[in-house]
Amino acid sequence: MLWYIFKRIVLALATIWLVITVTFFISRAVPGGPFLGEKAITEAAQAQLEAKYGLDKPVMEQYVTYLSDIVTEFDFGPSLKQRGRDVVDIISDGLKVSVKLGVTAAVGALILGVIFGSIAALRRNKLVDKIIMVVTTAFVSMPSFIMGSLLLVVFSSILGWLPANGTTAEGLILPIITLSLYPMAYITRLTRSSMLDVLGQDYIRTARAKGVSGWRIIFGHALKNSLIPVITYFGPMLAYIVTGSLVVERIFAVPGIGRSFVSSITDRDYPMIMGTTIVLATLIVVMNLVSDLLYKVVDPRINLE
Amino acid sequence: MKKIVSLLLALTMVFCLAACGEEPAPSGTNTPGAEGSEAPTSTTLDSMSVCLASEPDSLDPALNSTVDGATMVSHLFSGLAKWAQDENGNLVIAPECAEELVEGVVNEDGTITYTYTLKDGLKWSDGEPLTAQDFVFSWQRAASPELSADYCYMFEVVDGYAEMWETDADGNYVNPDAQLNVQATDDKTIVVTLANAVAYWNELLAFPTYFPVREDVVGDEAWATDADTYVCNGPYTMTAWEHDSVITLTKNENYFDADSILLPELKCYLSDDANNMLTNFENGTWQLIDDVPTNEIKALETEYPDEYIVTGQIGTYYASWNINASLLPEGSTLTGAEAEAAESEIRNALSLLLDRNYICEDIAQAGQVPASSFVAMGMTDADGSEFYQNAGDSDDYYGYYDTSAEATTSNFEQAVETLKKYYDYDEATGMFTNAPTMTYLYNTGEAHQAIGEYIQSAFAVVGITVNLENQEWNTFLNTRKEGNYTIARNGWLADYNDPISFLDMWTTISGNNDCQFGKGDHAADAMYSIDLTPYGYDIVVENGTWAETYDVLISTIKSCTDNEARYGMMHLAEDILMSTGCITPLYFYTDIYMLDSGINGFYCNPLGYKYFMYCTAA
Repeated sequence: MLWYIFKRIVLALATIWLVITVTFFISRAVPGGPFLGEKAITEAAQAQLEAKYGLDKPVMEQYVTYLSDIVTEFDFGPSLKQRGRDVVDIISDGLKVSVKLGVTAAVGALILGVIFGSIAALRRNKLVDKIIMVVTTAFVSMPSFIMGSLLLVVFSSILGWLPANGTTAEGLILPIITLSLYPMAYITRLTRSSMLDVLGQDYIRTARAKGVSGWRIIFGHALKNSLIPVITYFGPMLAYIVTGSLVVERIFAVPGIGRSFVSSITDRDYPMIMGTTIVLATLIVVMNLVSDLLYKVVDPRINLE
Repeated sequence: MKKIVSLLLALTMVFCLAACGEEPAPSGTNTPGAEGSEAPTSTTLDSMSVCLASEPDSLDPALNSTVDGATMVSHLFSGLAKWAQDENGNLVIAPECAEELVEGVVNEDGTITYTYTLKDGLKWSDGEPLTAQDFVFSWQRAASPELSADYCYMFEVVDGYAEMWETDADGNYVNPDAQLNVQATDDKTIVVTLANAVAYWNELLAFPTYFPVREDVVGDEAWATDADTYVCNGPYTMTAWEHDSVITLTKNENYFDADSILLPELKCYLSDDANNMLTNFENGTWQLIDDVPTNEIKALETEYPDEYIVTGQIGTYYASWNINASLLPEGSTLTGAEAEAAESEIRNALSLLLDRNYICEDIAQAGQVPASSFVAMGMTDADGSEFYQNAGDSDDYYGYYDTSAEATTSNFEQAVETLKKYYDYDEATGMFTNAPTMTYLYNTGEAHQAIGEYIQSAFAVVGITVNLENQEWNTFLNTRKEGNYTIARNGWLADYNDPISFLDMWTTISGNNDCQFGKGDHAADAMYSIDLTPYGYDIVVENGTWAETYDVLISTIKSCTDNEARYGMMHLAEDILMSTGCITPLYFYTDIYMLDSGINGFYCNPLGYKYFMYCTAA
């Protein structure tokens, strides 16, 4: 197990290095630059700024400097757009909010999804199952910008119960709901189908034959074995949801990290592009690793090697 | 087995509760403004919540280059002058830190020296005294190559600026020790010398780039990103900056005129989603929003007649043409200046095919004014009238073509007649058969796309094919600047009320010369003429190149001290510019915002800066 984890960490570092390298060179190959604007600055001023941020050096040299700064000093450089702020500060500010939002939404989605999925499986083809399936189909197929706008109009504009800007605790309620509906619906459907599969297994029939109660069959035997697909989905989903949803953050004016992903690219703010990409890549790699390890916890028969 | 499952569930619940538990923490920093929007009993407000835009790139007055940032900086800092309202509600430039806005003294060499005296008792927000040396330091800093601020060119008029920025062929600065000609002769006196008289000098003194900062504060570039290190001298001081969330400005008790400030607190929420802004405005959380969703404009006009506000903004939305892109049909024998003259005529004719009223009323929909000249509405002429009303040589309409709805048909016919000279015309179908296919380049945006589609359909009526090409903002800027296009969306907002801000951008070396005048093949086209003798200059050029005519004209305007001659020459410059057909003006910009009708004392200037310090409840 430890050997496996070690191997995976080495692989993860290699993946992140590859992501850094590819992103670094692609972002610089794209036309445009960080100091372009509707009103152009003079060539002398542009040259001055490029020299200040080391952008006048050959790309390969910039790359080596960037990597060594990260490894030796954990220095991701300054933002080229928000002068005076470091990438680490900007990302950590945004990430705090996004993590709060994302983790709450993801965990809520997991709990409710597993519960509804189990109920639907147990009451297969009954009214409850049908209602759950119809509702989850709607949530899965409805894009978050529609759901978000709908909640905003109903609860903020018409009813006025909740604020429309996500800068406060109250303001995070609607974005959390918007963010969680899709994964919740998806987990419900995953849980339902995999639980139906498990419920058809011989050991469940044996348990029933022995007179074990329905709830004990579910929580004692079926649930754990039906969670494997959910775990596979949950890890990367958590990574995506935590690094922020651009759409949801925009709709509710949440000060998370989501918009940095897009704005850093349109601004050609190279250090920010790198910073946000590294955060997302790291989270996904880590979450995948955690998912894989959880398999072993849930089902000891799984051979990780 | 059971244990593991329950452990897993328990863990997730704890995780969930922990995450939820953090939520209530920041409450108390927020003032859901319901109470602010409902008419309070007293006339003063406790606080006002507004949303201008998303996180500003910088709130360092020298580095800021956005309108929303300028609004906040104008509340946080005081320059020598300010935008104010007189007793009749008219906007004026009034003295602020300066005792008075003095007249300049003309020196023998034509330069002009202004001597300003600072008011008594000026202080920084931390209580330190503010001196003339602070202004001198700030101006030298803002204009310097070391800072390379976007708006450093606002100091172009000050003697010494050109020397500071002069570079040799290798790009090295020729005079690394050069400085602006500005001195503090004592703690209260600033002496500044301008290279020549400029009509908008007082306006520049009220521009954020000219606001003072303190040397010991700005040493660390991060000073302007955190309320704890932010030291200012204006009516407000920054008490909190939650990044991407809200900036809180609180009345500065060290401000010399603090008693006149009526609004104790201003919260600037940071969002760039127009739908979100509108929701927050409608439920009363925010009292002013600086943007509205385009597709809601029609509804807002009728639903909120008192709160939906459209004001003028000095700017022009236009299509720019690359002067080096060929428009002649295949097989044309025209070359050089002859070809360019033909293409100028073609571009001007194509401009006539566009119905600007349709663009304003059905596409842009925000009260924009159809444009037929480049220098925008709102710019004043020498005699105080509007510059655009005196543009062109027609007595029947303003500008270079008649944009009225009645003229649509005659414009169309005139355009077709002109184009017939150069393209083959099929009388039966009413189509030109050999016009080259053109490409209209625009940056991502619904309105830009809609205008592109309109241009495409308007040209298609006469058989001219226009392809649309959409590029992401930064790529678009690069493509346009490099001149890799035929027609491109363009827009220009003025920084000060002087037509030169629309005209000097078209000199050969200007970084904003998107039309590529005087570059590439056009550099050799000797076809422009200027005669400046009526304005008192011994300059006559017949059939000169762009560099020999337009560039000379602009530099003459910049050094001209006779106001009347100066404005006359600016009209001449616009005539030359419009004769190329490379600028197809579409409309003059407007500024749309929503303001709670329960607010009094609000005003904004033509540059779009908004002022809240005198706001009270109606």
